[in-house]
Amino acid sequence: MRLPKFEYVEPKSLREAVKILSAHPSETFLLAGGTDLLVNMKYGVVKPTTLINLKSIPKLNYILEEKETLRIGALTSLHDLYTSPLIQKKFLILSQAAREVGAYAHQVMGTIGGNLCQGNRCRFYNQSPFWRSVRPPCLKAGGEICHVIKKPKECHSTYCGDIAPALIALGAKVKVIGPQGERIFPLKRLYTHNGKKPLSLRKGEILKEVLLPQSSGKSIYLKWRWRGSIEFPIISLALYVEKEDNRIGLSRVVFSGVGEGPLEISEIEKRLLGNTLEDSIIDSVSEQVTKLISPMRTSIYSPAYKRKMAGILLREGLDKLK
Amino acid sequence: MKRILKLNVNGEDLEILVEGHKTLLEVLREDLGLTGTKRGCDLGTCGACTVLIDGKPWLSCLTLATAVQGKKITTIEGLAEDGKLHPLQASFIEKGAIQCGFCTPGMILTAKAFLEENPRPSEEEVKKAISGNLCRCTGYVKIIEAILSVSGSK
Repeated sequence: MRLPKFEYVEPKSLREAVKILSAHPSETFLLAGGTDLLVNMKYGVVKPTTLINLKSIPKLNYILEEKETLRIGALTSLHDLYTSPLIQKKFLILSQAAREVGAYAHQVMGTIGGNLCQGNRCRFYNQSPFWRSVRPPCLKAGGEICHVIKKPKECHSTYCGDIAPALIALGAKVKVIGPQGERIFPLKRLYTHNGKKPLSLRKGEILKEVLLPQSSGKSIYLKWRWRGSIEFPIISLALYVEKEDNRIGLSRVVFSGVGEGPLEISEIEKRLLGNTLEDSIIDSVSEQVTKLISPMRTSIYSPAYKRKMAGILLREGLDKLK
Repeated sequence: MKRILKLNVNGEDLEILVEGHKTLLEVLREDLGLTGTKRGCDLGTCGACTVLIDGKPWLSCLTLATAVQGKKITTIEGLAEDGKLHPLQASFIEKGAIQCGFCTPGMILTAKAFLEENPRPSEEEVKKAISGNLCRCTGYVKIIEAILSVSGSK
């Protein structure tokens, strides 16, 4: 599969990149590692007229510890994340999640910003032109109908990223730069849960930095996929708990692979609050969670299987954080 | 529209005239005749196209040639020095880790980068490192043995 033609630019600063992006926002795409974008360009589901190479901008690749906050530049590679002794020591779940993405080469090429901003996925969308030619283009690919539900208007493609659930579990914020300047907001609000337009970034905005609060709790990232490498998750879970006297003071329960964005299950978090991680509680929430998610059949794995695995992953995660 | 690319490949500085939208894999194979790097899936899921960029493994099918100007590109052709095989190449031959040979360039380059980072790995660590390089022939056992035997001697 050959790439179609496009204009290629290497800006020297983020401000320059924002300017170029703002000029033609719907046809200009940002390039970081390229492990998601180039595949979709080869599939012909995205057709940028211009690519902006963010890796040509200096100083976007850093991990800086400040008193209350860890600041990570958006172009920091996943490999640099998990080899950082600081992240391994103080933000273990992020190191675990970065190691789970793709395989060795993807982790070297891929960036934290790129992974957070990855496109949603669906078995009808992420396919070659030949495969897709059997049906009219799906809603996400510019057509009228979502083939998952066989109806118009709503796209049900799934968010399958590994880094977002881990960072949301850690309470991360993001800094974004655009034509109107910079803004900071919780990472959770980056995701619209709209399959066709999964990111809430406004026209011309570029993700610049991830900000993590120093945290005292325990965390774990569990990724369930068919093979041990390469693939996106069938379902994955990021768990974070803070305990006081063995009782849970704060928890975050975030899934990937089951919704149009990373899915935080606040009902489970409420249920865990004030309790210890005894077997009866773990049994109860593992049962409850299977009814709180609504996965769609956007891959070869059935919604029923994903529901079942949600309960199994939650049980395994909570057992490990006892 | 063709443009001049300045690429450093296997220690040599090259200037070539190519289409701006070509991937590094296409440029290596079609414009430079370096067919050691293979096109497998073309989508980054098999590792056959693996090259080293500044010593680290990179999927050349998902890399724009124009984006790696000024970086050190190493292909499998660049591993042997003055006709002498790299220890990994010798080990793969010795252990019987090569059958059809299609996965081998990517496999060896990944292993080289990995051993530079982790000179004394466990078997599990080796497996994880090469998990992005698929082999349909060997069943991986000999490949893992070949990599471990090189690491042992370092």
